[in-house]
Order: sequence, then structure tokens, then C-alpha cells
Amino acid sequence: MKRSPLANAILWFVLVMGTAAFVFPLWWMAVVSLETPDRAEAAITGSAGIALFPPSPQLANYADAVRETGSVPWWGFVDALANSVVVTVLVVLGTAVSSSAVGYALARLRFRGSRPMFLVMLGTMMLPGQVTMIPLFLLFRQFGWIDSILPLVVPAFFGNAFFIFMYRQFIAQIPESLVEAARVDGLGHVAIWWRIVLPLCRPVTAICAVFTFIGTWNDFLGPLIYLHSDESATLAVALNGFKNQYGGLEDVHLLMALSVLTMIPCIVLFIAAQKTFVEGLARGAVKG
Amino acid sequence: MANVTLTKVGKLYEGPNGSAVRAVEAVDLAIADGEFCVLVGPSGCGKSTTLRMIAGLEEISEGTLEIDGRRVNDLPAKDRDIAFVFQNYALYPHLTVAENIAFGLETRRAHRSALVAALSGAGAARREESAAIRARVAEVSRTLGLDPLLARYPRELSGGQRQRVAVGRAIARDPKVFLFDEPLSNLDARLRIETRTELRMLHRRLKATIVYVTHDQEEAMTLADRLVVMHRGRVQQNASAQECYERPANRFVAGFIGTPPMNLVDGSAANGVFTANGAALAVPASLGTRPCALGFRPDRVRIVARGAAGSIAATIAAVERLGDRTDIALDSAWGRLVARVDADAARDAREGDAAALAFDPAHAHFFEPGECGARIVQG
Repeated sequence: MKRSPLANAILWFVLVMGTAAFVFPLWWMAVVSLETPDRAEAAITGSAGIALFPPSPQLANYADAVRETGSVPWWGFVDALANSVVVTVLVVLGTAVSSSAVGYALARLRFRGSRPMFLVMLGTMMLPGQVTMIPLFLLFRQFGWIDSILPLVVPAFFGNAFFIFMYRQFIAQIPESLVEAARVDGLGHVAIWWRIVLPLCRPVTAICAVFTFIGTWNDFLGPLIYLHSDESATLAVALNGFKNQYGGLEDVHLLMALSVLTMIPCIVLFIAAQKTFVEGLARGAVKG
Repeated sequence: MANVTLTKVGKLYEGPNGSAVRAVEAVDLAIADGEFCVLVGPSGCGKSTTLRMIAGLEEISEGTLEIDGRRVNDLPAKDRDIAFVFQNYALYPHLTVAENIAFGLETRRAHRSALVAALSGAGAARREESAAIRARVAEVSRTLGLDPLLARYPRELSGGQRQRVAVGRAIARDPKVFLFDEPLSNLDARLRIETRTELRMLHRRLKATIVYVTHDQEEAMTLADRLVVMHRGRVQQNASAQECYERPANRFVAGFIGTPPMNLVDGSAANGVFTANGAALAVPASLGTRPCALGFRPDRVRIVARGAAGSIAATIAAVERLGDRTDIALDSAWGRLVARVDADAARDAREGDAAALAFDPAHAHFFEPGECGARIVQG
């Protein structure tokens, strides 16, 4: 369908304005990260106007930010990065593996109580995290897990209600005959899940992995509650170190520089995975 | 290869409010080694359920199933050494054609990982196995003409090609029994007939025991060494295709086997005359006096002049010209009847014309009343 030039112009205007509204904060973060300390502070406190381009970009800010992270120069950053990577990778793996396994069971196995269990599981989605925060903290303290990554990682291996739901709905649409063919070919349920169902769930796994990655990578509250020592902090918590306890803003340019660095993996992952989101791999399995 | 024996096999499903629904009842079947056995019947007749019980995809509620003389009721599907070809092919979409064909072989080889094999010094044996699998896949793909497709994914294949791959996956494993569940019903008419012939030839070459399910009686007749006609969960007739056609065991089989179907008329016989709805026809006196159904094949019907002796008056309702033959539907006192006549004989037939039909009573069939009324054997 061909649009009139006016309709096109309006459409473009709306899209451009919308994009600008979303991109501006990120742009501004990048701008401030390249400012001198004085100008950055002035920009944040509002005592100076907002510059769209830094007059003299301070690339050294990035090196300073990396050096100043944590308590040990340079190594503080490496430490926080490593912590973030370990926690995130384990949480993504745990969530995808456990959620898809539970989703397969709920979609394909007939067992007593599967429906009530499914409903109870869905019910847990209605529970805000704040409600369980203190009981969970007490529980993990009993286990002696405080200041380790265990409280952040272990729950992921017990599934995530939302992703279990997504996997279940997707797996329920896989033709029963594929599972039966695998049974005739000699596979048990675990092998069917691993070798047949999981490869077919790629679009769901991509969504699960990207959302879990972004959520975990950016998670501030969890690590703040459970990781107390400097060495165990993740990047999100380490960022907070650039703000002193009185909320001082003298290092805000470094805070912004490190924020830009922290965001890069999320953006790269999202771009890499977005094709898989829309891909329907199950096409061609059966008569289509 | 092996023989398959079903003894009093039945299937009960749990229906609503705890009642039991019987899908298959007391099926007795002895399929010989290398036999092509076709289960045929209308949808819901229990043919697919029977096949799935043989496969181990459904539990057997009653009776025993033996493959090669061994009771396999409680054996899981994977241990029965059968191959199953699904109606929708069920190819693994994330694997190539070659991987699909090799899949069953891969899962069946000794369950050990490459690492364990290397550590335990069994690496050479494993490599040998892999080579054997590759050779087998090559052999199968040559047999079925799949060579140009081996690297493709199922989504890149046409319906006929997918069907071929599904058959390839089945024969790669060299199972004892092949089970086919309506494998041709997703193909278009022309391809279906071609593939039918190929399956028949493949059977001869493999000398395999095949159990094949279809609702298409023509497909069933062309393929079967043994035809098993099912209806309402029961076997109605178990015989050769020709036998089922010429001597249907009951009224249901008579009406189901043959295109167009047999003409069936409910009436009664008395003193050598069959009467239904006021119209009468001479029949063998040996029938005696009883209510019964008269059946005669459309191709045994002749169109004759009105008032001819031993004819039934009718009006032509529809004329379907098939080239060499013509099917004529006639409305008579006996309801709608069909005649299949030579095209030349029907050249002048027009819809709405008055006509009469006659047939040789020697080619008539008689059945007890009722949907599955048994054949009356005339002594």
C-alpha cells in the first residue's frame, strides 16, 4: 500500500520523536562521560545547559573509570567484570535449562497434579519480589551463603515461572508425532528434551537468554543485598562506588564512562539475538 | 523380519465421568513374515489405535501382542525393533536429511560418549560404527533416490520428498516390522498413486513385514497381501483384497470396499422373490423366507428398456462420464442405485430419462439385516 507524502511525513515525525525520546538519555550519558569533571558536575546539577556534543572530549575518562573501579587500581574492574560474567552466565544457563525442562514436563508428561502445580507456579508470578526479599535473606543466611554468589545463582536452577510458562506454551505446539518418532528411535524423556525439544525451542531460548542476561547483568539490588565485600561486587554494584555516601557528584563523569562500558554487552547481545526471536524453526517439521 | 500376532487385543480409554470407552475390541490377527497387511476402515474405526498399540505408542488394555513369538505387551516402543512412518512424517526439523536418516542408528549404538570411548581404548570401534552408519545412510539414500537432498533440511523439501525421507528413516534401521500410519494422505492425488506403486515395489525388495493403516479403500486394495477391514473397533473381515471384494463377510464390508460402493437394499425374501418397497425381483429360492439385505455391484448392473422382464423401473438422476466408463445414478423404488456401464452403452443417457435396471441374480449378495449383518451363504 502506498501512503500519501503527508501521511509519510507524519509517520516519520512520530517515529523520529519517539526514537529521540528513547535515545536521548543514552546519548547524554555518553556526552557526560566525555566531559571534564567540572562540566560534568555542572551538567548533572543543572547549573549549566545541556550540551549535545562535548566541546573537548576527554577519552581519558574511560581509562580513569576502569582504573578507579573498586579498591585496587585496574584489578578492581577486572574483579567486578569477572563476578558479573560468572553470575550472569550461570543464571542464564540455569534459567534456560531448568525452565525448559519444567516446561517440557508440564507440556508433555501426564502426571497427577500437573495442572494444580502449573497454576500454583503461575501464581508465584503475582508475588512481588519485595515480599520474599527478607524471608529469602534469612533462609540464605541460615545456609551460610551470604557474601557468596550462591543466593544469586542457585535459585535460577529452580526455574523461572514466566519462562516456564513460555516454554510450556511453545512445547505444547510441537507435534506429538515428533516426540513419538523420537521414542520409537530409542530416546527417553531426558534425551527427547535435550536432543529434540530444546533445539526446536531456539526462539524461546533466545528470548529467555537475552532477558535473563540483561536482567542479571543490570541487577543492582540482588548483589547489593548478598555481596558485601569489595572483591565479590558485580559491575552494577561497583558503579555505585563512584558516588560517595553523601551522594557527591565529583566523579560523575567516571560513573557515566563506566556505565557506557557496562551497557555494551547488553546491546551487542540484543542485536545478535534478535533474528532468532522471530525465527520459526519448527517450520517444515511436518506437513506445512 | 518377523511375524506379528495379536490375540484378543483391546483398547479401553477412560471416558468422561470415569466410564470406559472401548476403542478396539478383541482383535485377532496373525501377520506372517514378509506380509503386507493393510488395516482399513472409516475414521474412528480403531485402525490407528491398533497400529499404535503394535508400535508401543499406546498401552494394550487387553489381550496379547507377540512379535516373532515373543510377548511384547510391556516392552517400550524403542525395544520392539519396529519403525513407524507418521502421517505428517515427523522429521526432526533441526536435522538435515542425512542426520534424520542416521538418527535412529546413532541412538541405538552402544551408549557411550566419544570421550569415554577414547579413554577406554574403544575409539577404533566407535569410528568403525560411525563409518558403518555413514555407509548405511548412503545405501538407503541411493535406494530411495535421496542423494541430492542429503544436506537439506526438512523445511526445504516438498511433501513427496519429506515422505521419502520418512520412509528412508524407517528402512535405515532394518527393523523387524514397518508400521505406516496413513503415510500418503498428505500427498496430492497423482503423487499418491506413484508413491503407492513405489511402496509396493519397496516391499517386494525388502521382503519386510508391513502393517499399514489407511482410510482409502482403493489404496488398501492395491497394496494389501492381507486386508483387514475394521469398523467400530472390531475386525469385520480379514482376507485377501480380492476375497473382500468378491465375498464380503458382512454388509459393512460390502458397502465399504469397492468404488463406487455396492448397492444395498433392505427388504425381505420369500419363495424365490426379493421384495423391497413394492418392487420385486427373482432371487434363488434357497434363501428361504426371511428379512435380508440385497447387494449388487454397480458394474454388474445393466441399463435396459422400461418394462423388460426382471427389471426395476428407475429415472436417471445423474450421469458421471469417466472416459472409458460411465457412472449412472438412478432413482428407483429401491432408492438411489448406481450403475457403472461401458461408456458406449451410456452414450445416449440423459439426466431425467426414464430407464430400468437389471442384473444377474447370480452376482447378488445377501446379508442379514443390520449395519454389520453377516453374509448369507446360499446352500
